[in-house]
Amino acid sequence: MNVASELTKEPALSFARVMSSAPLIIFVVLLIYLAIAAPNLLEPSTISLILKQSVPTVIVCLGLATVVVAGGDDVVSGGIDLSIPATAVLCAGVIADQLTNHGSSLFFALALAIAAALAMGIVNALLVVFIGMTPLLATLASSVAAVGITKVITSSRRINIDHPFIIYIRDGDIGGVPSAVLVAAVFVLIFCIAVHRTRWGMQLQAVGGSREAAEVSGIKASRLVAQSFMLAAIAGALASVFVLARGSGSTPGSEENLLLEMVLATFLGAAFSPRRIVTVWGAVLGAVLVSVLSVGFKSIGVDVFWTGCIKGSLILIVVASAAYTGKAQS
Amino acid sequence: MTLPVDYILEMQNISKAFPGVQALDKTDLRVRRGSIHGLVGENGAGKSTIIKVLAGVYTRDEGSVSIDGQAIDTITPIAVHDAGVRFIHQELHLVPHFTVAESVFMGQELQGMLGLASRRMQQRAETFLRESLNCDIKGKTLIRTLSPAEKKLVQIARALIDDQAKLVIFDEPTAPLASGETEQVFKAIRRLKERGISMIYVSHYLGEITELCDEVTVFRNGSTVAVMTDIDEHATDRIIHNMVGRDIDALYPAKTVSPGQPLFISSSLSDNKRFFDINLQANRGEVLGIAGLIGSGREELIDTLYGLSVPTQGSIALEGKTLRLNTPADAVANGIVLVPRDRRNDGLVLDMSVADNINLASLDEVAIARMEKRGAAQKRATRLSDQIDIRPRNAKAITRFLSGGNQQKVVLARWLATQSSVFILDEPTVGVDIGAKVEIYQLIQNLAANGAAVIVSSSDPQELLGLCHRVMVMYRGQVVADEQALNLNFDALLALSTAGVATAVTS
Repeated sequence: MNVASELTKEPALSFARVMSSAPLIIFVVLLIYLAIAAPNLLEPSTISLILKQSVPTVIVCLGLATVVVAGGDDVVSGGIDLSIPATAVLCAGVIADQLTNHGSSLFFALALAIAAALAMGIVNALLVVFIGMTPLLATLASSVAAVGITKVITSSRRINIDHPFIIYIRDGDIGGVPSAVLVAAVFVLIFCIAVHRTRWGMQLQAVGGSREAAEVSGIKASRLVAQSFMLAAIAGALASVFVLARGSGSTPGSEENLLLEMVLATFLGAAFSPRRIVTVWGAVLGAVLVSVLSVGFKSIGVDVFWTGCIKGSLILIVVASAAYTGKAQS
Repeated sequence: MTLPVDYILEMQNISKAFPGVQALDKTDLRVRRGSIHGLVGENGAGKSTIIKVLAGVYTRDEGSVSIDGQAIDTITPIAVHDAGVRFIHQELHLVPHFTVAESVFMGQELQGMLGLASRRMQQRAETFLRESLNCDIKGKTLIRTLSPAEKKLVQIARALIDDQAKLVIFDEPTAPLASGETEQVFKAIRRLKERGISMIYVSHYLGEITELCDEVTVFRNGSTVAVMTDIDEHATDRIIHNMVGRDIDALYPAKTVSPGQPLFISSSLSDNKRFFDINLQANRGEVLGIAGLIGSGREELIDTLYGLSVPTQGSIALEGKTLRLNTPADAVANGIVLVPRDRRNDGLVLDMSVADNINLASLDEVAIARMEKRGAAQKRATRLSDQIDIRPRNAKAITRFLSGGNQQKVVLARWLATQSSVFILDEPTVGVDIGAKVEIYQLIQNLAANGAAVIVSSSDPQELLGLCHRVMVMYRGQVVADEQALNLNFDALLALSTAGVATAVTS
């Protein structure tokens, strides 16, 4: 009977394993193809460009990964925060408006942006923790509202920035490494340690893994989930600086691509983890890979609209794989 | 002169009332230091209420509680925890992708100079599991790769790792385990006893109670009816007598029709997880009962018979023809229907009218060109609902506002409207008042009398004996008895369900 049961079990298990690795396999194949089709992709200057391009996505991914860790990675009912890119663009709009149109100091502009981000975080936390809304719906709604406010502030127009701090983040380097990448690396390190190497982070993971188990163990689950949304909003504020630097100002509509890349990168990151769960470092790695794809497609001359289509399909594959793996495990 | 006994826990004269129910009535529970104390009683006897009073979930109306000689006036979860009381809940509360060490230290993580002290937590978890629970697993192992028994031990380790536990309460610790795995948990529990920890062991499995416990308190209807200090392997009969103490009354209609030909048969049916090698035979004109505790595989078997899950081995046949039931729709198409245990969520669309709920499964018969004929549909629903006396007598009433018994009758009426031959009823009278119960029992007898095969799965032994022609008993995934109801009595059925063997004396 043992032999029989193993025989009947084995194919299902290995199929689930293939499904959970599918995004990774597809990405590796795409990367190999790009490396062959665009040989200059692996040159140091291109790699430096790729890393620089990836910074805004990396930073918003830090926020999303934190929320998913605390809310669980169930694709529908788990933790998700779709409003981080909108928060980033809102903060970018606030900073650009203050610096260029009102002549405010950098400190004041940044403080105002952080206040706006915290307000977004509080709204999300209230909607999810106290009202009990699904994070997917709550943050979709707050995201739309944030984009609306941004349009009001910027009159839906592009605002250029020539503040030296933003220019430094855009062009500066320390020992040949772009300053944006170095600053981002510091934030990555902080989030990685906080989520994966501290007591607070372990408890955050426990809440995401099983809220009931965490509560039985005396962990204050609601507080941690609320904190994760606050951190996500702060990540949005941090990302805004890099969004401004990359675009030399604030541009309406730039949240769309950021949202796409953030979701793709974070759930792709789960495929890197041996436990197949969303992690901060996995999301960062995912963000860099997504950036490699974007730059790679551009350098071999793929139409930008096709790039969007390919990324959309990849999101479907990544999320479908996560949903299927979750189903196979339950 | 006798020496005073040393009690770790003394609960005296505990009373607790809920609106309309006296859940505990001057109940006593005393646990000697260093002993394993069994707590038994039927569902609703007050076991979980007194445990929740001790846990600080409920506040007692009267009575005194003292832990380790210290009287405690206001019981709060924190106060009992500080007094060294730990609860091992029935649910495991584990995260599948956590490691053993992460699970053991959940909520009480150790910190070193640089963040988490992962290595130290791994070593301490491994040492504790090995030395205190007799279990050799690595701290880095992922929970989802463990056996159910190992998971239970990890849960126990989490409660006891701080070495402050004096009294541990186990609530049905072996419920999710297969019979071979219980021994591993027992060994761990005996090891804890050697280390001087006192325990309360709550279980429906009386075989386990007699094997493990030094003393047993029996609850019935919220009162302590017996404290038994002479527990040996033959004590099961005496425990059952103390638990029950009542007779089967005349709730049940006469079983007049004699069973006919075999209709619905399963051969060697297994899902390789919760039930194994089930040979079930339901005959025309017969009510077949399935008995078994929660976790005996009874629910999973029912799901499989109805196509809600697919078996890994064995086959199901109707009138000699083998069926492949991949979905409930396959079952219904073959005339096999289910009245689910959770009627409010699985059985009814609560915001639809009674008539719409009745017609849900047989719309084709009241339709022309796939369009429902409202008039004919209403008329038929009204006829059916009058036939089985659904109240209020208004087929347009919204189902949500009906009583439990009448809602159950709506589900039954739906299947009466179809030409079905096999009726599977899962806990058909849970939450139904006595009057409606009698009517549902009569309906079930009528179904059988009209030539259908009826299968009733129930956790109420009395109901099975009163209602069924034949009863099949499941214990830890296997059929341990398949007997004519006439050859069984309450004690024997309870013994079969709770211990897997008919130890009770037939009287």
